[in-house]
Amino acid sequence: MTTSLKKLVTAIGASVALMGAGHAAAEIQIGIAGPVTGPVAQYGDMQFSGALMAIDRINEQGGVLGEKLVPVEYDDVCDPKQAVTVANRLVNDGVRYVVGHLCSSSTQPASDIYEDEGILMITPASTSPEVTARGYELIFRTIGLDSMQGPVAANYLADQNPERVAIVHDKQQYGEGIATAVRDTLKDKGVEIAMFEGVTAGDKDFSSLITKLKQADVEYVYFGGYHPELGLILRQARQANLDATFMGPEGVGNNDINTIAGDASEGLLVTLPPSFDEKEENQELVKAFEAKNEDPSGPFVLTSYAAVQLIAEGIEAADSKDPFDVAEALRSGTFETPIGTVEYDEAGDMKSFEFVVYEWHSDGSKTPAK
Amino acid sequence: MQDLLYFSQQLINGLTIGSAYALIAIGYTMVYGIIGMINFAHGEIYMIGAYTALIAITGMTALGLAWLPLILLVALICAMIVSSSMGWAVERVAYRPVRGRHRLIPLISAIGMSIFLQNYVHLAQGSRNVGFPALIEGGFTFGSGEAFQMSLSYMQITIFITTLICMTVLSMFISRSRTGRACRAVSQDLGMASLLGIDTNRIISVTFVIGAALAAVAGLLLGMYYGSVDPLFGFIAGLKAFTAAVLGGIGSIPGAMLGGLILGVSESMTSSYLSGEYKDVVSFGLLILILLFKPTGLLGKPEVEKI
Repeated sequence: MTTSLKKLVTAIGASVALMGAGHAAAEIQIGIAGPVTGPVAQYGDMQFSGALMAIDRINEQGGVLGEKLVPVEYDDVCDPKQAVTVANRLVNDGVRYVVGHLCSSSTQPASDIYEDEGILMITPASTSPEVTARGYELIFRTIGLDSMQGPVAANYLADQNPERVAIVHDKQQYGEGIATAVRDTLKDKGVEIAMFEGVTAGDKDFSSLITKLKQADVEYVYFGGYHPELGLILRQARQANLDATFMGPEGVGNNDINTIAGDASEGLLVTLPPSFDEKEENQELVKAFEAKNEDPSGPFVLTSYAAVQLIAEGIEAADSKDPFDVAEALRSGTFETPIGTVEYDEAGDMKSFEFVVYEWHSDGSKTPAK
Repeated sequence: MQDLLYFSQQLINGLTIGSAYALIAIGYTMVYGIIGMINFAHGEIYMIGAYTALIAITGMTALGLAWLPLILLVALICAMIVSSSMGWAVERVAYRPVRGRHRLIPLISAIGMSIFLQNYVHLAQGSRNVGFPALIEGGFTFGSGEAFQMSLSYMQITIFITTLICMTVLSMFISRSRTGRACRAVSQDLGMASLLGIDTNRIISVTFVIGAALAAVAGLLLGMYYGSVDPLFGFIAGLKAFTAAVLGGIGSIPGAMLGGLILGVSESMTSSYLSGEYKDVVSFGLLILILLFKPTGLLGKPEVEKI
């Protein structure tokens, strides 16, 4: 009885192994892990539509090393616990390349598993610096880091030749980090920084701060932090007749700032990732999306497209399907993608990722700043 | 001249915030004066007052009312009614059943009430910041040309005047009216007042209602002055007002007024001549110093040990 069962299990195991081997010889599986359901599923849609489009187009052109790419989809609901389950399923399914995950909080625990199991991961959306800060070999991204916005903002400010700039932050990791980056870059450019000061997140009264800004006679105020504080600062500054232009990071660029600041949010400068679908060189790709009745304008569509393309070109450049060789090739090569020229540093971050300065309007729309 | 204008501007900023702290501090100080407990849910009552005023203003604007004094009056009355009934209900539900027990029990009950009210508003109104319409705009400007200009907004003037009126009315009520006299009697000796035929339960309720009504006034004023409310609105304000009450001498009404103004001015002076980062360090440092060297506060009377 037991021996026959053992034989049966062995037989099944062997046939599964054989099937797996046959499977792998003909095609390359690309795992796409992101939220298909849950509160941020609309971002997941962007990720899947971009990645699937890239796989289709690469297969049309003959695939990679003569093999077809096959998408395998996984739903992590942007929940860290489910992300770990998904990562383990990917390991069991023998997938060796992943485009995902989306939320930094999911990407972080899943990437631990991928690194251990020798799976190459490219996240098209996670911006937390932590994701690539652990010295992992197989973890990459096709999006910028929170800390990259600071220099972009500072360069823009420096180009305006202001006499004096003030920098305010909310004393938290995100806000103070960006504010410090802005200050350092401005200092290097020789711009006078009249003030560098923290406010308490959750504070409501900024009248003293605004009086100080008035006294310092600054032209620009950079705020590192989120919209609840900046919204109040804008509004109270308007009431106190402070004549200065405000600027902030991605964390202030959402519609809630309009409900708090009202008209005072008009003319606020915000650094955001660019609209890749408006670039001229991508118009052919945009038409391909439109032909499929899909919208390429979401922030993560073309970053996901680029992630698949990088895996494919990495495999070709390495002439090997071993993820470690591919990672090596990605680090040493230069790749042309819809999100621009991609070069990787040791950590797995892009050497440069574009953030664009937008001018915010009180009706919630934005236009590129001059 | 420049420096003087700058100093005056910061003084005005500090006095504005200080008067609002004083309005909230009254609630702490009166309750402490009468039953010797600290009502930690008072900051939440203030927050609820601000939300009620906002809802009333939004409602009236939606109905097409545009006459500003009417809007403000209705918002004020709504906020005072809702906050006062909250204050009354909180006392009835959370404090009266545990009155007369060990001092810690009502205190813990108050903290629980504070957490409950905060989360209730989280659920009912959402955790996002809600913008408050700017109803009173404009103001006077002093100084001219390129130099630093000092501004005194109509909103700041409104806050000063309203606080002044509230304080005067309250002082007259306490010193002249029959209920006010009963309040003073209860605060001197609750047991004796009860023996002499004063309905102490009613007087204690009245104290909570008055404190809550003043907090509602502060909620409306500060909501308009700052520009937004959120469910955590009352937490820090409550702590600051409590500090002001202790600073001035807890249990003393003029003390709460003085404590609020000192706290507001010292905060704005710290922000302007040191750094905004040290604002809270200074205000809570002040609290610790007062507790160490003059535990009864600036205007408080030393407590006589009752046997």
